[in-house]
Amino acid sequence: MELMKSSDNIIQDRTQQQHKQEPEMQAQEGQQEQGHHFHVLAVDDSVIDRKLLEKLLKVSSYQVTCVDSGDKALEYLGLLNNLDSDSTASSSSPSSSSSSSSSSSNSSSCSQSSQREGLKVNLIMTDFCMPGMSGYDLLKRLKGSSWKDVPVVVMSSENVPSRISIRCLEGGAEEFMLKPLQLSDLEKIEAYLLKSLHLSCTNIDKDDDDNNADHNSDNNNDKVVNNDSNIDKGNNSTSMNNNFSKRKALSSEDTESRRPKIKGLAVAI
Amino acid sequence: MDRNRLHNQVASMRRSLFDQGYLDDQFIQLEELQDDTNPNFVQEVVTLFYNDSTRLIQNIEQALNSRPIDFCKLDDYMHQFKGSSSSIGAKKVTNECTAFREYCNAENAEGCIRSFQQVKQEHAILKRKLEVYLQTVTSFSNSMSCMETILSYIAYTIISSSLYIENMDKYGKLFGTTPQTELGVDKCLTTL
Repeated sequence: MELMKSSDNIIQDRTQQQHKQEPEMQAQEGQQEQGHHFHVLAVDDSVIDRKLLEKLLKVSSYQVTCVDSGDKALEYLGLLNNLDSDSTASSSSPSSSSSSSSSSSNSSSCSQSSQREGLKVNLIMTDFCMPGMSGYDLLKRLKGSSWKDVPVVVMSSENVPSRISIRCLEGGAEEFMLKPLQLSDLEKIEAYLLKSLHLSCTNIDKDDDDNNADHNSDNNNDKVVNNDSNIDKGNNSTSMNNNFSKRKALSSEDTESRRPKIKGLAVAI
Repeated sequence: MDRNRLHNQVASMRRSLFDQGYLDDQFIQLEELQDDTNPNFVQEVVTLFYNDSTRLIQNIEQALNSRPIDFCKLDDYMHQFKGSSSSIGAKKVTNECTAFREYCNAENAEGCIRSFQQVKQEHAILKRKLEVYLQTVTSFSNSMSCMETILSYIAYTIISSSLYIENMDKYGKLFGTTPQTELGVDKCLTTL
């Protein structure tokens, strides 16, 4: 109950007040240490879609953090005043984020946890059409930062997927999903979460970021080639499945050997 | 029984909401997400929708009343409105939003104004229907939990009484028994 309560508090505070960041961060990190659940960052300006997405993810046993804009997402990840991407962001963000990003930019450990001590995000799901920073802009910022290995899924309610989806996939998104989302859509993202976990384990084992980045971009290129003929959601999901099965073929041994272990972890908690 | 009547009422209201095209599959998804940890999820989402959409309606009214009409802004608001209504499965409302956006893209002010009346109408109709439906659902689940409470109280009473009666001889030795009490005990045991 306490875990749920504190995560609910985090979601409310994050969308309402920017200045209560630090205590929330500590609570969030405390949660992550206790659980081995995947942590998903959900970005959407619509309050209803945020609620829906949060519930969908929680029902699927994922840890969720919801933010209502791309800026808040970058802030959460410690990227707003970062030194990695060429940002010209103003210096108006809270001092906590700037101090943590400057202190952690010196660390050379696993890319996902380098920005904030212990902050682990396994997947980012973002709406495409948002005021201010769009989902595509957020995607580009993420792929140009130390969070580039985290899979990003872009969602949209627009029924013209070819224009949006190809752009997003070329920009490095793993998947493009049509809203409104359903439980069946979440089954697809499990694959990306497992892949991200596999990648982070590989980072720890081999300490070889370059190889993994190439592996990532190879997969993305394959996906772009296969997606040229997409027009509607039906085609999208079919080709997505094809892409997934193709990727599965590429790294099937690793994921399958790891899969029981991960499921065991999830069930144990 | 009242409960059966309520149950039938809930079922038929729900069926007609779907049959008449007010709701679509997405609403079912909301219902599927509702569980014991979050037993009012559907109500919460619907309430959230009506609060949010009321705000959007006001914005759209304002934009439609301004001269010249900013069709870009209008489309923006309507995109949000349509997104929310499709997220809760409000089928008719979503369809009216689509029609509005077509007039908006064509920069047809009159068409927009007429279409918006339709949007508001469907929005209001659904609101009333959902209020009644969800209230009936609540009454039904309250009656269910009322029944459950009564049943569990009865069960508790039976169990604790039988425990007491089983140990009656022990208690009897403590407090002392009379022939009447022993007769009463036998009667209780046979009844239970």
